[in-house]
Amino acid sequence: MTLLAPWALWFLLTGGAVVALYLLKIRRQRQSVPSLDFWLALAGPLKPRSLFQRLKRWLSMALWLLIVVSLVLAIGNPVLSLGTVKPQSIAIIIDNSASMQSVDDPKRAETRLRRAIASVGEMVDRRPVDDEWLLIDSGYTPRVAQSWTRDRRSIRDAADAIRPHLGSTDLNAAVRLARQLLEGKSPQAIVIMTDGAAGEAARLAESDASITVWPIGEADDNLGITLLRVRPHRQQAQHFAFLRVANASKSEVQSQVVLELDGATIAVEPFTVAAEWQWEKAIPISASQGGVLRAWIDRPDVLPLDNEAFAILEPLRPARVVLVSDDREAYFFEQALLAMDVLVDSAESQTLTLADYESSSAAAKDPADLTIFNNCAPKNTPESGAIVFVNRWPEDLPIRINGTLSKPALSLVRRDHPLMEYITLGAASVTEAHDVTLTDRATVLADAGGASPLVFVIQQPGRTALCVGFDVLQSDLPVRNAFPILLRNAVVHLVAEQDAWVRDQYRVGEAIESIRPLPASVGSVTVIRGKPGVSPEQTLPVRDGLFRYDDTGHAGPVRLRFGEEAAYCAVNLTDEAETRIAPPQGLPAPEERLGLSQRLFSAVPWLALAVFAAGLIGLEWLTYHYRWTE
Amino acid sequence: MAEPLFDNEFLKKLEYLELIARRLVFGRQQAARQSIRKGASVEFKDFREYSPGDDPRTVDWSVYARLGTLVIKLFRQEQELDLWILLDGSGSMAFGEPAKFDHARRIAAALAYIGMADMDSASVMPFGDSLRPARQRLRGRGRIFELLEYLERLTAEGRTDLETTVKSFVARVRRPGLVVVLSDFYGLQSAQRAIDQLRFFKHELFVIQVASPWEFDPPIRGELRLIDVESTAHDDLTITDGMLRRYKQAFQRLGADLRSYGMKYSIGHALARTDEAFDDFIVALLQHGGLVA
Repeated sequence: MTLLAPWALWFLLTGGAVVALYLLKIRRQRQSVPSLDFWLALAGPLKPRSLFQRLKRWLSMALWLLIVVSLVLAIGNPVLSLGTVKPQSIAIIIDNSASMQSVDDPKRAETRLRRAIASVGEMVDRRPVDDEWLLIDSGYTPRVAQSWTRDRRSIRDAADAIRPHLGSTDLNAAVRLARQLLEGKSPQAIVIMTDGAAGEAARLAESDASITVWPIGEADDNLGITLLRVRPHRQQAQHFAFLRVANASKSEVQSQVVLELDGATIAVEPFTVAAEWQWEKAIPISASQGGVLRAWIDRPDVLPLDNEAFAILEPLRPARVVLVSDDREAYFFEQALLAMDVLVDSAESQTLTLADYESSSAAAKDPADLTIFNNCAPKNTPESGAIVFVNRWPEDLPIRINGTLSKPALSLVRRDHPLMEYITLGAASVTEAHDVTLTDRATVLADAGGASPLVFVIQQPGRTALCVGFDVLQSDLPVRNAFPILLRNAVVHLVAEQDAWVRDQYRVGEAIESIRPLPASVGSVTVIRGKPGVSPEQTLPVRDGLFRYDDTGHAGPVRLRFGEEAAYCAVNLTDEAETRIAPPQGLPAPEERLGLSQRLFSAVPWLALAVFAAGLIGLEWLTYHYRWTE
Repeated sequence: MAEPLFDNEFLKKLEYLELIARRLVFGRQQAARQSIRKGASVEFKDFREYSPGDDPRTVDWSVYARLGTLVIKLFRQEQELDLWILLDGSGSMAFGEPAKFDHARRIAAALAYIGMADMDSASVMPFGDSLRPARQRLRGRGRIFELLEYLERLTAEGRTDLETTVKSFVARVRRPGLVVVLSDFYGLQSAQRAIDQLRFFKHELFVIQVASPWEFDPPIRGELRLIDVESTAHDDLTITDGMLRRYKQAFQRLGADLRSYGMKYSIGHALARTDEAFDDFIVALLQHGGLVA
């Protein structure tokens, strides 16, 4: 037997006090009476005559000593040792991610996180009191919930105060933090209380002997949406939702996904997914006006959190294109743009000469979605928007012209780039091209056979410029498919990218930040979670064109507004590691690894001993004091 | 400093009590007292059948003429009436708060004062296991200071032996008088034998049982070593609730037995509690107690 609080043995000294009190008590209190004979005549039968009656006092004292020993043992928190229990510095990591919200037993309605918190209490109770404890909750980023302490109550309280993080987690980061805080302490141990994090916990335990995984949970029956992305298809004036559902269970599951747009069901997709496998589908959605898309799995399971996901469908509208070109050189461009009647708003688009463009104040106030400069360039690059420069560009771009290339061989460098989609330049004939050097970061899409860049993209804050380093009218491109396709790609991708100043998807807990500086360096961004006009708005300050929104603790759509510009994104769990809730298998029992002791009683030891002591007090009263009240 | 046993207030109370006594008891006959005994006197008291040896001069011949029965006339005998106060001065009387002995001394002083003023003489005779030096046959109120001084010097100590005491008393006092015994009367059987002796010598008797509140309801419980205040003998006892109940019953029975014994033999009886004022006790005694006929 081991006492987890051996200092309690000092309380045995109170046993001496009990003996002293009894010795005092045995020296009876003296009481004068007028006539002793009068009392003796009455008390004859009650005088302690038998040996048992004389021993009763000593029996009472023995019982009280036993009561003292019981109470001291209760305070000492006795356990049966499995081995030698040595004090350690132990860092506990509690996985409080979404998967820990699983409820394995619906009757108990207790989440895995609550079970993990209870396990913390159990562990500290079964370890020596000299242990030093640290508590970390993994969360979106790991956080120290309780710094080093030997106070087990503090650890229990800190564990109890941990709240669930409804997103994914990174146990590696939590372990790195634990190791950093364990530095210089010996012996040391890390205990991860987790449902496995899709095998990550097991890998950590295998890589480091000081890591012990305390598995939480049993069930694996879970379906979850692990991916929901939406892309606008401007050419078809619709969106495509790409959906992925993972099956974490060990049996095939049939179910259905319901798609709702602004609360109205627009599609129901039945599916069958094999055990521990995935089901994927791209689903067309006709909603040019945009909206909030919610996908949810119509099947209850142990983890409801991953049964839904959100996406924002941006409104689709034809792009307004301004072509700045000499009239005589504009024909091929105009024809190519007219062919894109779905993508380009012909009525709002126009062709201007450079002089007209530069004199137009409207251009500055209401910039086009895409401005194409053909064989001409303004003095300075427009401050924002998507721009295509053909053969000429402003001097403020990071391009240095070295000379001229004669009949360069045009070759694709980035075939995977969206702007090069469907484009083949293999036999393109270019009479003459600029020999240029890019003096700053740029993405080269095509070059002159590994030499000078010929088609490249320069991305700067607030603007993206696609530059073509040769005169297309001095090539055969206008008569090849590649030319209108390049212009189409520019309309589809440059305009789309230019609109977005946030990503379309964020993880739960991840801060939403501007991915490009906003048009104004100061101001405020209004954030709406939920329905506009119904849900409360939150205003965030903009500094240096940037903002940060942290309140992403739960999944859902997010609308952002900066002046006249709107942006949409969705916060989702959609993490396969969280969906795969099956706890790790085959790991050594944490009780053995941590040398945890067995309890003397199934109930809390001190409580059992206290009850035992109370019983002894009752026995003592019945056998000794009770007769005083006969 | 302990409160004096007899102070000016006490003396005023004595005066008051004497007035009460005179009005209630002695007012009818001024200084002379009528004895409850029959004897030779001019005042007719009663008839009795003639028995041989009676003085033929007392035969009422007119009754004999009418009824044919010899009866003799009895006359109230006038005689001196002495008051004898036997004061228990044993150790048990020192018990209680205030001590029973203090209460008994105050009562003795009051009765003696009344006796000295309105009767022929008053004597206070303390006793323990035997009679102790006494103040006897005090007459006149002027002797009260001497008596108080004497009483103040008395102490309660030693054992009680009322039987031996009474033996000494009757050997010393031949003429019947009014004997008041002030005691706690533990050991009632021995006390009864002593009282029987006094009756035998034709003394009028009045017993006053002095008791403290502690004795009625002792506030003790648990494992105790009881020590006898007279003998210092001790014994260990466990005082339980049941035993306390039995004690109270027994103490009540002690008083009841003393009272029933007195009623049986025309002996006056009173209970003097130390938590009651002594003057209230004396007034009640004079009014209802039948101390003097």
